[in-house]
Amino acid sequence: MNEGYVVRNLRVCVRDHVIVEDISFTLSPGEIVALAGASGAGKSMSAMTPFGLSAGVASGSAILDGIELVGLPERQLSRVRAENIGFVFQQPLTALTPHRTVRQHLQEAAMQAGGSKPDKTAMVAMLDSVGLSRPEERLAQYPHRLSGGERQRVLIAAALAHGPRYLIADEPVSALDAALRGEIMALLVRLCRERGMAMLLVSHDLAGIEHHADRLLLLEQGKVAESGTARQIATSPATDYGKRLMAATPRLSERLPPLPEMGETLLEAENVHVHFPKPGWGRGRIDAVVDASLTLAKGETLALVGGSGSGKSTLGRAIAGLGSMASGLISWQGEALPLRQRRSAEHRRLIQPVFQDPLASLDPRWSVADIIAEPLRWLVPEAERDDRAADLLEEVGLPRDFATRKPASLSGGQAQRVAIARALSANPEMLLLDEATSALDPLVADGVVALFGRLQRERGLSLLFITHDLALARRAAHRIAVMEAGRIVECAPREELFANPQADATKRLIAASG
Amino acid sequence: MKPALIIVALIALAALLVPPLLPYDHIAIDWDSVRVGLFADGHLLGTDDLGRDRLARLLVGTRVTLSVALAAAMVALVIGVAWGAIAGWVGGRTDELMMRIVDGLYALPFMFVVILLMVVFGRSILLVFLGIGFVEWLTMARVVRGQVIALKQRPFILAAEAAGSPARATLLRHILPNVAGVAVAYLMLTVPHVVMIESFLSFLGLGVQEPLTSLGILVNEGAEEMDMNPAALLLPGGVLVMLIACLTIAGERFRDRLADAAK
Amino acid sequence: MGRLIARRLLTAIPTLLAIIVLSFILMRVAPGGPFDGERPLAPEVRAALEATYGLDKSLPEQVWMYLGRLAQGDFGPSMVYRDFTVSGLIAEALPVSLLIGGCALVLASALGISAGLWAALRAGKWQDEALMLGATLLTALPTFVTGPLLALIFGLWLGWLPVSGQNEGWNWLVLPVVALALPVTGAVAKLARAGLAGELGADHIRAARARGIAPLTILRRHALRPALVPVASYLGPAAAALLTGAVVIETVFGLPGLGRYFVQGALNRDYPLVLGVVTLYAALIILFNLFADLIYGWLDPRMREG
Repeated sequence: MNEGYVVRNLRVCVRDHVIVEDISFTLSPGEIVALAGASGAGKSMSAMTPFGLSAGVASGSAILDGIELVGLPERQLSRVRAENIGFVFQQPLTALTPHRTVRQHLQEAAMQAGGSKPDKTAMVAMLDSVGLSRPEERLAQYPHRLSGGERQRVLIAAALAHGPRYLIADEPVSALDAALRGEIMALLVRLCRERGMAMLLVSHDLAGIEHHADRLLLLEQGKVAESGTARQIATSPATDYGKRLMAATPRLSERLPPLPEMGETLLEAENVHVHFPKPGWGRGRIDAVVDASLTLAKGETLALVGGSGSGKSTLGRAIAGLGSMASGLISWQGEALPLRQRRSAEHRRLIQPVFQDPLASLDPRWSVADIIAEPLRWLVPEAERDDRAADLLEEVGLPRDFATRKPASLSGGQAQRVAIARALSANPEMLLLDEATSALDPLVADGVVALFGRLQRERGLSLLFITHDLALARRAAHRIAVMEAGRIVECAPREELFANPQADATKRLIAASG
Repeated sequence: MKPALIIVALIALAALLVPPLLPYDHIAIDWDSVRVGLFADGHLLGTDDLGRDRLARLLVGTRVTLSVALAAAMVALVIGVAWGAIAGWVGGRTDELMMRIVDGLYALPFMFVVILLMVVFGRSILLVFLGIGFVEWLTMARVVRGQVIALKQRPFILAAEAAGSPARATLLRHILPNVAGVAVAYLMLTVPHVVMIESFLSFLGLGVQEPLTSLGILVNEGAEEMDMNPAALLLPGGVLVMLIACLTIAGERFRDRLADAAK
Repeated sequence: MGRLIARRLLTAIPTLLAIIVLSFILMRVAPGGPFDGERPLAPEVRAALEATYGLDKSLPEQVWMYLGRLAQGDFGPSMVYRDFTVSGLIAEALPVSLLIGGCALVLASALGISAGLWAALRAGKWQDEALMLGATLLTALPTFVTGPLLALIFGLWLGWLPVSGQNEGWNWLVLPVVALALPVTGAVAKLARAGLAGELGADHIRAARARGIAPLTILRRHALRPALVPVASYLGPAAAALLTGAVVIETVFGLPGLGRYFVQGALNRDYPLVLGVVTLYAALIILFNLFADLIYGWLDPRMREG
C-alpha cells in the first residue's frame, strides 16, 4: 500500500507569522532525506510541526503511511508518534529526564508502542548497538553522569527501542564536540541502513550530511530553494542560493585557495603552561595548557585546531594577555610581553580579540559608536572618536549610520562586524579569532572569513585563527597547529599537515572531517 | 505593573500631602469628641479612644511605615550591591568566603535577631531600619553576585580588557550599569518585605514608638477594639495589605520583564 | 548523599554555635538587666542573685558555662518566671508551637502545591492569571492582620470557632492554623507554578511527548519531581516564616507557645528564656534546611553529590 511519508504544500504558522510555506517532499521507506539551510530557514519547523512537536500550526498535507497528520487530534497523533517514529533531538544534555535512569528511559521507550518490558540482556544489546561502552553499568546511571556524546547515544538507543520505521533527527550532532559529530552521524546512518529505516535529517551543516543523505532540500527563509539528490546538489547546484551555499561550505577535498605572503616573525610563545585550581576549597588543579610553543609571522594566519576542552581558547587568551599563565614566555618582535595584569594599553593594542558569540561580545547598553571607540578611549581625544568609529564601520562593510544603534538591533553577522571594528580601532598588529565564525550561518560566516582575508591583505595583519573546523582551517590558514588535552601535538604548513599527518589526534580529526 | 504602581503612588502621595491639610494632626487630642464615629466634628474617620483623629493617624502611620521601608531598603541595596559585586568580581576564595558568610546569616532566625537588637539597644526608629536593612541585604547580595559572575564571563568584559580599560573602569562602565536593572527590581521587592517586618515589629510594640505611629501600631490598636469598631482594624490593615501586594506585584513584573528581555 | 549531609552538618554546627555565642554576648552587654526593677534592690541581695545566675563571672566564662549546660539540655533558670527552668517552659510550649506550625505547613503545602500545579497546566489562561494574583495577595497578608480579622469574623460575629486559648477538641486550632498558613500557601503556589511551567517547556518533556506518552503520565513521571525543586528550596524560609508568624498568632489567640514566651521574655529582658528560644529556633531552621536538602536529593539526583 501507500507506504512512506509524503508532504505536500506544507505551511507552518507561529501565531500570525508564516514560518514555512509551500514545502513538499517525499520520504520513501529506507531513504534518508535531509533538510538543510541557515538558522531560521524553517528546517526544524517543517520536520516537527506535522507531528505536533513544535509551537507552530501546520496546514497543507503530511501523510504518513496513508494517515493524514495535519489536523489529526493530539491523542491520535500521539499514537502515530509512539508506534511509527523515533525522534532524536539536538540537545542531548537536556533531552533525558534528570531523575530517571538510563534503564527507565529505555524501558519507557521500548514499551511506547505497546511492547513488553525489555529484560536486561535486551537493554544491554540496545546500548551496545549504539556503541556505548560498559553498557551494564550505564543502565543504573542517571543522565548527569554521562557525557554529551554518551547521552546522545542513549537517546538514539531510546529512539530505536520500539523498532520504528522512521527516524526524525533534528540537528542530532550539532551540540556535540566536533570530533564526535562525524562518528554519531555515521552511526545514525548505519543504523538506518541496517534496519531499513527511513530518516528525515535536519541539519545546518551541509558538509556533515551531503555524503550521508540520499536526497537534499535546501531551505531558505521558509521556502525550498533547491532540491534534488545529495550528490547532484553537492557537485553542481542549480540555483544561485545552492551555489553560494556550496561555495561557502569548506571541504577537505576542495582546491587550496592562495594566501598572502608572510613577513618576519612577530609573536613567539614559548613553553606556555596554564592551570586552574579545581573549584571549591579542595586542592588539585586542572592543566588546561601544557608546554605549548608557537610562532606567528607578519601577515600570517595560524590556525589552532582541536576539540572542546583541548585548551585552544585558553592558550589564545594567555597569548593575548586576557587569561592567566602559570609559566612561559610571550614575546613580540623579540621583546617579552608582561603577564596579564602588567600589560599596558600599548601592549594590549598589538593583539585584539574577536570572540565566538557576537551579541555577548557587545555591551547591550552601549551604542555601536561607543563600543567601537572603546579602545580609542585610552588612545585618542574624544572629538575624533565618532569619526574614527564611522570610518571603521565602513571598513568592515557596515553603513556609517549604524553608529547610533544598540547591539540588540543587530543580526549576528552585523554584531560580529561591529566586534571586528572594535578590534581594529585599537590599530592592532594581530587578531585573536576565537571561533569567530562558528556561531554564524554559513553564508554570513563565509562573508566574515572573507573580511578577515581582506583586512589581512590591506593591513598586513597576523591572525591566530582558533577553530574546531579543520576544513575551515585548511581554507584560511598558512599553518595549522593541532591541540589535544592541553598540548600542541602537531604544527605544520597546511599542505604538509594533510599530506603527511603525524599525530594520532590529527589523523582522527582528518577522518572525522572527511 | 502599572495599576499596582498607581495605587502605591496614590497611597504615598496621600500620606505625604494630605496630613498638613487636615484640621487635626495625628497626636492632637480633641477632648470634645473622644471615640466619635465617621464624619463627626470634622473627623472624617472619627477619633480613637484618646480623641485623636483617625485619618491623620492612618496617613502619618502610612508615611512612617513607607519611609522606614524605603530607608531600610536603601541600606539593603547599598550593602547588598557592594558585597555581591565585590564577591562576584573578585571571585575565587574571597567569593567563597563572602558567600559562606551570607549562607550562615541566612540560616539565622533573623526576625528574632532583629527583635533581640531592638531589646538590647532600645527602640529607636533609626535602629529599626538599620536592623532590618542589615538582614535584608542578603538576597540582594546573592542576586547581584550571580549577575556579576554571569556578566564577567561575557566576552565584552574581556574585550574591554583588551581595549586597555582598567579593571575599575570596567566595573563602573560595564558591570554596574548592567546590574542596575536587577538591583532595582530586587529593591522594589525588598520594600514590601520591609513594610511587613516593620509593621510586625511595631505590632509587637518593638518597632516605632509613640508619639510616632505606623501601620503596625494602628493594626495592633485596631485589633483591641475590633469588636466594637471593625473599621479601626480594617482600614490600617487594608492599606497595609494593599501596599505590600501592589509593591510585590510591581516588583515581580519588573523582574520578569528584565528576565524576558535578557533572553 | 551521606557526604552531602555530613558536610551540611559540619557547617550547621559552627553556625549554631556562633548564633548562641553572639546572642549570649549581645544580651550580656545590653544596658538594663532583669533586676533593674522600679525599686532598687539592696546591694547584697543583688550580688546574691547575680551569683546564682553566674552574672558575676567574666563574659567568656559565662559563655563557656552556658554552652556546657546547653550540651546537657539545660537552658538554665528563667529570670522572670522565677519557679520555672527555661527547659521546663520550652518543654511545655514547644508541642503547642509544633502542632500549630506543623498543621499550617501541611495545609499550606497541600493547598499551595495543588493550586500552583493547576495554574501551571493553564499557563497563560485567565485561570492562571487570577490564581497567581490571588497567590500574590495571600503572600501580602500579614498574620497580625489576618489573625485578628479571622477572629473577628468567625469568632465574634459568626461565633463558629473559639478565638482564644485551647480547648478539649480540635477546633481551637482552625483559626490560628489558617491565619498562619495563608501567606505560606501563596508563596508555595507561586513556586510550584513557576516550577512546573518552566518544566513543561523543557526538552525532556518534549522528548517524552515524542514517545507518545500520555499527558498525565508525562506529568507524573517526568515533570513533577523537577517541578517541585523550587518548593523544596523554600522549605527552610517557610519554616522561618511559620515560626515568626507563630509569635503573632500565639499572642493574638492567647496560646501558650514558644513565640509568646519569646516576646514576653524579650520585653522583660529574661535573658535565659530569650536565648533558649533563639537557640531552639536556629536549630529548627537549620534542621528544616537539612530536610530540604534531603528532599532535593530525592527530587534531583544531581543534588546528591554535594
